[in-house]
Amino acid sequence: MKEIKNSSIIVSRRGISQRLFNPFRFVAGYKAMLLGLGIILISAFIGSLSNTHFDGVLDVHIGLEAPMWYFFAEGVIDWLSLTVPLFFFGLIVSSSALRMIDVLGTQALARWPYLITSIVMLPEANRRFSMYLISRFTSTADSVALKYADLCIFILVGIFAVLMAVWMVALMYRAYAVSCNIKGARAIITFVVSITGAEVLSKFLILLLLQ
Amino acid sequence: MKLLPTICPACNNQLKAKILICEHCQTEIQGEYELPALTKLPPEDQAFILEFIKSSGSLKEMARILRLSYPTVRNRLDEIIEHLKHAESSQENS
Repeated sequence: MKEIKNSSIIVSRRGISQRLFNPFRFVAGYKAMLLGLGIILISAFIGSLSNTHFDGVLDVHIGLEAPMWYFFAEGVIDWLSLTVPLFFFGLIVSSSALRMIDVLGTQALARWPYLITSIVMLPEANRRFSMYLISRFTSTADSVALKYADLCIFILVGIFAVLMAVWMVALMYRAYAVSCNIKGARAIITFVVSITGAEVLSKFLILLLLQ
Repeated sequence: MKLLPTICPACNNQLKAKILICEHCQTEIQGEYELPALTKLPPEDQAFILEFIKSSGSLKEMARILRLSYPTVRNRLDEIIEHLKHAESSQENS
């Protein structure tokens, strides 16, 4: 079928800001879910190389060694802990006919900034400083020799990780707004409640994994 | 062809049709006729509805043609449904 040239039907700017902060105008459903699941699994794999744990919907920490499946499980728990409450809020609040696959897909894709975070967490200096902190606060790890540069890299990585977390939350909100067709105060309130609950739920489920 | 004006440029209220003309024999009919609900929608909403019908009412097909996601197209349709409901209720009230 011929492509519609009339852009007035839906104003669909495809600028860089649209693609960075609201890619869900262009991709949702199965395509978004396949992309998003791939991103979650690759992030988990890269994270496992530096023992970076995504141990909560918004959390990124360097921790102790764990089997590969544990990193994958963390990613999936983070994704589902937020998606399920958002879908139920969507069913209650939205007047549109929602598709679970859109909520699942867009929320999976919204986690892509953490793929960048998993790469940024790779430098050995960052891991060394994190291990130093762990050794200071627990008795389980050996003491670690530090270089001055380790602290600088740790701070830079930390700032970058916070920026990525902010970007990811913005994407999660846009994903929710588009997939459930909710706007304004109702969208903000239900999203904040969901993400707060999801953070607690994901922490709890990941703790259960440890046992 | 000129677009049909539906809103009064002076007071922003809904316009009605007063004169209808036959282009063939120039017969004029005067009266006060309500415009159909679809004509009261903005031109971009009307264009969307036309494309939606041409796509056999398939949002998936619309999304594919417009290269937009399914929920974006569905949200747009829901928005138009709201406009239509609003147009109908204001017609009933007047």
